[in-house]
Amino acid sequence: MSRSRVVISLVAVLVAIVIQTTVFGSGGIQPLGIAPALVTLVVIAVSTHIESEYLLLIGFTGGTLMDLMGSGTLGLWAMTLTVVAYVAGRLKHRFVDGPWVIVGVVVGLTALGQFLFVLLATLFGHGTIAQPGLFSKILLPGVWNLILAVPVFWFLGRAFESRQRGVGVRRA
Amino acid sequence: MFLSLVAVGFIMATFDVRASGTGLGEVMREGTQSMFAPFQRGVDWVTRPVIGFVDGAANLAGLREENERLAHRVRELETQVQETDALKEQVAQLESISGLKVPEDLAFVLARIFSSGPSAFDNVRYIDKGSNDGIVQGQAVVDEDGLIGRVDLVSADAARIRLITDPIVSVGVRVLATNETGVVSGMGDGPLRLEMFRATEPVYEGNRLVTDGSRFPPGIPVGTVRRTADIEVGFVLRTEIDPAARLSKIDYVKVIVGWSAIDAGLQQGEVASTTTTTSTSTTTTVGG
Repeated sequence: MSRSRVVISLVAVLVAIVIQTTVFGSGGIQPLGIAPALVTLVVIAVSTHIESEYLLLIGFTGGTLMDLMGSGTLGLWAMTLTVVAYVAGRLKHRFVDGPWVIVGVVVGLTALGQFLFVLLATLFGHGTIAQPGLFSKILLPGVWNLILAVPVFWFLGRAFESRQRGVGVRRA
Repeated sequence: MFLSLVAVGFIMATFDVRASGTGLGEVMREGTQSMFAPFQRGVDWVTRPVIGFVDGAANLAGLREENERLAHRVRELETQVQETDALKEQVAQLESISGLKVPEDLAFVLARIFSSGPSAFDNVRYIDKGSNDGIVQGQAVVDEDGLIGRVDLVSADAARIRLITDPIVSVGVRVLATNETGVVSGMGDGPLRLEMFRATEPVYEGNRLVTDGSRFPPGIPVGTVRRTADIEVGFVLRTEIDPAARLSKIDYVKVIVGWSAIDAGLQQGEVASTTTTTSTSTTTTVGG
């Protein structure tokens, strides 16, 4: 496992958090009032490029940073994105079966992440499950993530590929 | 490793709940906020015009509606201006009844929101002013329509606002029509919950609520009652209100720095001492 792949993944998560809180934040792009879950999408997208153990760490780190930037209890997004990373790591070998698998994984895992967070936040006393518009908040990010999946998968694929070429050239 | 990380997350959550978001968690939040703030400001500066253009183009149909809404609002305001004298008199009456004076010309700091929380479940916004500008935890944050929230976390050049829609935020309010007090708390999104524990009169749809001066300066518009609620003996009067501020479209905000809970305490103290003096003099007069 190249250390640079982990670094690229980490940078991708950091960039995703910045974009999520600005471009897709309040006053930003929020179709139907709900923003995509970009960090979740990035965790899913890097799953095919790094080993599962590192993916778990990336998920956990991204989740912890989301917790620190958000208003909820510390650790909830960390647990959520660790679970998302775990499932993505288990399913990544199926991605070659066709684009429909990727579609299902992106939509399904995003919704799973949102739902799991709601569940955990409710267990920790935030009453999130009683929020108005809960279904949209769980389901719509998956739909927006599906649209964003094309550029995100492409961009990350290029980033990892160029890094691979750079390593290959140096070795030659 | 999966289980270990989940366990670590669980332990973090437990400690954070125990510490009520303070201690190490608060330090880490401040550090992360300071680390991300420059990047967020940079991205916000670059993308805001583009987002504004895209937003405007996407909402062309909505602009007509917005225009009508604003025209309606202007008519409402014109009517309100005509009623100013009557309202002034009403305010004076309320002040004399409650013993509270609405502070005028409160010092404030104008700030701009540059980012928000990272998920749909967050009720926080980040502003570009911090402790260097005199902002401290707990101060009220308002816009031209009313109360938005309170300052929750402060670093040198940025601060986090917790919106009034957050379930952990509670605001003491006064119903303008009846002068009765209650508590408004967030429900995560959308409307707010109003609870009045010793209500003697019902609240009606359209009744306006302002801050009662217990924690925030008195007289800041908080919202409008959405549904009429009657009083029932032995029960808490409970209904929903629509926030006065348009929380989904906040750009510039004012942080009221010229008021604190201590001011509220002092004012209450003044009220108490005035009341005591009045009753003493009354007793003396009667006794005399």
